[in-house]
Amino acid sequence: MTELLQFVITGITVGMIYALIALGFVLVWKSSGVANLALGQLVLISSWFTYGMLVQAGLPLWLSLVLIILFALVLGWVIERFVLRPLIAQPILSLITVTLGLAFFIEGAVSFIWPKSVAALPRLFPQEPIHIGTAVVSQEYLWAAAISLILFGLLSLYFKYHKMGIAMRATADDQMAVQACGIPVTKIFSMSWMLACVLAAVGGVLMSSIGGITFGLVHTGLKAFSVVILGGLNSFLGAIIAGPIIGLAENLGGGYLTPLTWPGVREVIPFIIIIIVLFLKPYGLFGEVRIERI
Amino acid sequence: MGLPAGTRNYNYAQDMAIFRTKTHWALLLALFVILFTAPLYCGNYWLSVANLIGITIIAATGLNILTGYCGQLSIGHAGFIAVGAYTSAVITNRLELPFLVGLICAGLTAGLIGMIFGIPSLRVKGFYLAISTIAAQFIIIWVINHWTSVTGGFMGISVPPASIGGITFISQSSQFYLIMVITVLVVFLAKNLARTRAGRAFIAIRDNDLAAQVMGINLFRYKLIAFFIGCFLAGIAGSLLAHWIGFMNAENFTLMDSILYIGMIIIGGLGTTTGPIFGVIFIRMLQQGITFIAPWLEDIFTLPAGFTTGIGPMVFGLAIVLFLILEPRGLAHRWQLFKASYRLWPFSY
Repeated sequence: MTELLQFVITGITVGMIYALIALGFVLVWKSSGVANLALGQLVLISSWFTYGMLVQAGLPLWLSLVLIILFALVLGWVIERFVLRPLIAQPILSLITVTLGLAFFIEGAVSFIWPKSVAALPRLFPQEPIHIGTAVVSQEYLWAAAISLILFGLLSLYFKYHKMGIAMRATADDQMAVQACGIPVTKIFSMSWMLACVLAAVGGVLMSSIGGITFGLVHTGLKAFSVVILGGLNSFLGAIIAGPIIGLAENLGGGYLTPLTWPGVREVIPFIIIIIVLFLKPYGLFGEVRIERI
Repeated sequence: MGLPAGTRNYNYAQDMAIFRTKTHWALLLALFVILFTAPLYCGNYWLSVANLIGITIIAATGLNILTGYCGQLSIGHAGFIAVGAYTSAVITNRLELPFLVGLICAGLTAGLIGMIFGIPSLRVKGFYLAISTIAAQFIIIWVINHWTSVTGGFMGISVPPASIGGITFISQSSQFYLIMVITVLVVFLAKNLARTRAGRAFIAIRDNDLAAQVMGINLFRYKLIAFFIGCFLAGIAGSLLAHWIGFMNAENFTLMDSILYIGMIIIGGLGTTTGPIFGVIFIRMLQQGITFIAPWLEDIFTLPAGFTTGIGPMVFGLAIVLFLILEPRGLAHRWQLFKASYRLWPFSY
């Protein structure tokens, strides 16, 4: 029982972080129709950048957090302006593969600048474990989940009330109509990339302050894909609900299935979920089924 | 198009011929002579590079049929190659059956596994399919790593050298002949496949799958055929790779390799026969150049230690991005332009 509670709490909280990263994907997909397969690499490079600021440069925490957000904004802008802007209105195949090239480039840049493949961030949150009922949960997970929740709240307010947020939702709905209304669509594209990079950076910092920085962070990005697939590609709500489900499935499956199957089953559960979802309900829980015309 | 001025076709066979003029035949003959006498004047090192290029061309041709002709993006190609490699390894090492059985079974197994992961392609496309093939890659590698009794797991598996009817292909030059013969056959088959009913159906599906369906093309059937052929060739390449390197584990088949295969066919030119050849040679030569030049640069400029490991992926990523932006039709298109301007010289058209 204790074990179960522990798996559930860890699963849900980690799932929140996945959902946060997945939101970045949904944002870009909705506004510009680009499938960002470099998500894991964005998480990786922003975690390493955090390491560079906090540990290597020895900056204070508040300053490095500001710098990380700035870095993510600049990264998002550069990616949109120089990689995706020239490819507007190209077939989806090019749009997917260009992000693959980007993924390759970022991974190379990371091993170029930070050649050691493993590092630890200083702990950002208090570490004493908290007792919830009979379960013992590390406080860090709860902090991470709380931060994710706050960000979800801020984002939904932004999309509901801010002028730019409303413009982004409108772009997701119909690009041509939005352009006719005089909203600069390319600006919306770069805004969505910048926001996506910030979300990936926050997710990366949260993940790596708990688990250290490894190349495994790329897998965090890949798990975010299973969140997106389960929740539906163009649904924010779907991502927020599917995140904890994936986290739960991963932790419960990892906890209870490992004795029954081969070790490491935890790592492939998100991918098995992807295959099952694609077989049964390909557009996910909340995804919109588009009817195509010739 | 593509024929010298004054060459006219008077019957159907002439119209369909790949090699139409005497110059074509002469050039083909010259290519074969140069290719098959290469072991006489190439060192072992360059022969091994050529072998790797040959194997990669087979795999990239498979991916090109799947992605370039049929438009179904697969980011799990290294996984399917791994299926072929391990099937062949298990058949020849554990069951001690002949190499040819292993080669054929490798192709068939990889083709079948590819078809299973291709089933979602009936209902989804684009990004969904890309994710499904990434999932395939990870599930396949996980199974290989943990099914220790069959695959050897993390410890790896050793593969005996290929042998056909008493001839054992041990040295690089003997393997060169084996690999090149299969490569030439595969390229020839791929060229002809694109002109058959199936190939034209693939192109129709790529350009607009709904329109293709309305015209009476059975989408499910042809998409699965594309997955089968693409992964069958991946399996063949995997089998050759296994017998060529002799010892392997799942580290040889990573997600980054899958992405690199896509990069190769994009750089070469999607949906052309020559594309994979150009792309593979370009990427493999770039790799050679980097392994040669990176330590040298590091010595001269006292670069940080990560330079040699990081520069490769950076250059490949940049190459993929730049080709997509600047020359989306790839090197094959450049080659066509070159041939046209050469034929018309000194006139502009």
